Amino acid sequence: MTAPSAMREPDTPWWQSSLVYEFSRSPVAVLAAAVAVLLTVLALGADLIAPYDSYNPASANVVDARLPPGAVGLFGDRYLLGTDPQGRDMLSAMIYGLRTSLLVGFGVVLLAAVVGIVLGLVSGYFGGLVDTLIMRVADVQLSFPAILIALLIDGVMRTVMDRAMHDKLAVPVLVLAIAASYWVQYARTVRGLVLVERGKEYVLAAQVTGVSPARIIGMHILPNVMGSVLVIATINLALAILTEATLSFLGIGVPPTRPSLGTLVRIGNEFLFSGDWWISILPGIMLVALSLSVNLLGDWLRDALNPRLAGT
Amino acid sequence: MATFIFNRLAQTIVVVLAAAMVSFALFRYVGDPVNNMVGQSATLAEREAMRQALGLGDPIVFQFLRFIRTALSGDLGISYRFGVPVKGLLLERLPATLELSVLAMVVASSLGIPLGVWTALHRRSIASQLLLIASLVGVALPTFLIGIVLILIFSVWLGWLPSFGRGATIAIGSTWTTGLLTLSGLKSLVLPSLTLGLFQMTLILRLVRAEMLEVLRTDFIKFARARGLADHTVNFDHALRNTLVPVITIIGLQFGNIFAFSIIVETVFQWPGLGLLVIQSIHFADVPLLASYLVLIALLFALINLTVDLLYSVIDPRVRAGMASASTRGGP
Repeated sequence: MTAPSAMREPDTPWWQSSLVYEFSRSPVAVLAAAVAVLLTVLALGADLIAPYDSYNPASANVVDARLPPGAVGLFGDRYLLGTDPQGRDMLSAMIYGLRTSLLVGFGVVLLAAVVGIVLGLVSGYFGGLVDTLIMRVADVQLSFPAILIALLIDGVMRTVMDRAMHDKLAVPVLVLAIAASYWVQYARTVRGLVLVERGKEYVLAAQVTGVSPARIIGMHILPNVMGSVLVIATINLALAILTEATLSFLGIGVPPTRPSLGTLVRIGNEFLFSGDWWISILPGIMLVALSLSVNLLGDWLRDALNPRLAGT
Repeated sequence: MATFIFNRLAQTIVVVLAAAMVSFALFRYVGDPVNNMVGQSATLAEREAMRQALGLGDPIVFQFLRFIRTALSGDLGISYRFGVPVKGLLLERLPATLELSVLAMVVASSLGIPLGVWTALHRRSIASQLLLIASLVGVALPTFLIGIVLILIFSVWLGWLPSFGRGATIAIGSTWTTGLLTLSGLKSLVLPSLTLGLFQMTLILRLVRAEMLEVLRTDFIKFARARGLADHTVNFDHALRNTLVPVITIIGLQFGNIFAFSIIVETVFQWPGLGLLVIQSIHFADVPLLASYLVLIALLFALINLTVDLLYSVIDPRVRAGMASASTRGGP
C-alpha cells in the first residue's frame, strides 16, 4: 500500500491532473516554463547548437577580439553576438556558460535537497536530542547570508588546495560551498511537515503493524512532503544559479578556462569603458532570463500546490 | 528570559569558537608557519629552534589557546601579501565599508518606506503595480549586474559619476577616513550605495506594503476613520507607526546581509573596503588576513543576531512569552 500522493488523484493520468490544467491557464507560468526549457535545451545541446566550441583553443581568433554583435571576422566567420577579448564567439561562450550555470545549479539543488530532506525526516520523526542538535545548526546557518557562507567556504578551500587541484575540483567545491547553506530550508520545511504527518492515522497504523521506522519514513511520509520540496527546489535553483554567477564574477568560482555566465560578465567588466558593452551585458541578460524564469515558475508552483497541500 | 539569553549566548560562543578553530587550522596547517617566518637560507637546526620557539611542538589544545590569547590581544599576524600587521589593514579598510553600508541602508529605507506606503495606499494604481513587478524582477537581478548596468549608464555613457574608488577622502582623527566631506567622495558614493541599497529597498518596500495592508484592515483604523480623523492622520500617525516595528527589525537584521553583499559591490566598484580586501586575500592565498576576517565576520554576525533577538524580545511581548521555544525568526 502506498500513501496517497499530494500531487494528483489516483487513477488519472498526469496530463489530466488539475495541476497541468492550472498551468495551461497561467500565461506567466507557460512563458516562464518556455524560457526555462529553451535555455535548458540550449545548455544540454551545447555541443550541437553552439556555432563554435568554446573549450577548443583553436576556436579563439585573437584578430577577431571584441567584435560587436553581428560582425564578420577577418576570416569570414560570422559572430551573431560578437566576440570576447580572446576572439571567442560570444554566443557559443554563453551557451557553454549556461551549461556550467545549470550544472552547478542542479548539483546544488540535488545535494542540498538530499541532505536537507534526510536531516528533516530524521529530525521530525525521532525528535529529542537529534532534533535539537540539527535544528540548532540550522538556526546558526540561517543567521548567515547564503552568499557569505558560500564565499568563505569556497575561499578557504581555495587557500587549502593548490591551484591545479582546485581547478580540477572547482565545480564540486562550488556545489558543496553553495549547498552548505541551502539544505536548511529543506530540513526545516520537511521537519515541520513530518511533525504533522507523524500523528496521522496511516503512520500510526504502520507503526502498529510493526513496519520499521526507515520504511515508514521512506515509503509513507516522504511522498507526502515532496510537493513542498519541489517548490523549495525550484526557487533554490534560481538562487543557486545566481550565487554561482556571483562567485564566478568575483573570480572565485569556476576556473577562467571554463566558460560561465559569471566569468563572462567579469571579463567584459574590464572592457566596459572601451564601449564593449556586449561582453558583460549579453551574458548578464541570459543569466537574468534564466533566474527570472525559474523564479516565476517556482512562485507559480507554490501558489498552485498550496491549497492542495493545506488540504491534505 | 534568562534561559533564552543563556541559550543565545551559548550559541553565539559556539559559532565564534568554531570560526576561531577554522581560522587556527588555516594558520597552522596551510603552508608551514616556520617557512613563512625564516629565510630561504635557514638551516634545519634553525628551523627546529624556530619551531620550538613558536611552540609548534606543544599539544594542539595549548596551541589553540595561545592562538586565541594572541588574537584577543589584537595581534592578528602579518599579511603575506602586504607584509604589515593584519590588524592595521582591517582598521584602515573598515571606514570605507561602514560608510558604504550605512549609506546603502539609508538609501534603502528612505526610498523603500515611502514607496511601500504609497503602493499600499494606492493598491490598484498602475504605477504601484509596475513598482511591484519591478521589485519582483529585482530579486532575479544579481547585485553585480545592477552595478555594471549603473556603471555603463552613468559612467560610460553619460559620464556623470565615477565608477571606481572612493574619490578624495579626509582623515578624521588617526583611524577614520571619510568620503562624505568632499565632492568627489560624495559623487563616488552614489553608484555603489545605490547598487547595494537597491535589493534592500525592494525588500523594505514589499514588507512595508504588506504590513500596511494588514494594519489598514484592522478595526482601530476603521474606528479612526469613523471618528472623522483626516486621511493623512490615519494613514501616517496610526497605520504607519504600527508597521514600523517589524520594519526596523528587518532593517537591523539586513545589516548583516548588506555587509555580505558589500563584498560584491566593492569588487564591482573597486571600493577600497574590507570586502575588496578579503576577495584579494582569497586570490593571493593571504592566510592570516582570510583567517582574521573569518573570526571578525563571525563576531559581527553573532553580535547583530544577539542584538536583534534581544531587541525583538523587548519590543514584542509575544516573543517574550514564547521565547523558551527555539528560534523566533523564520526564513532567510
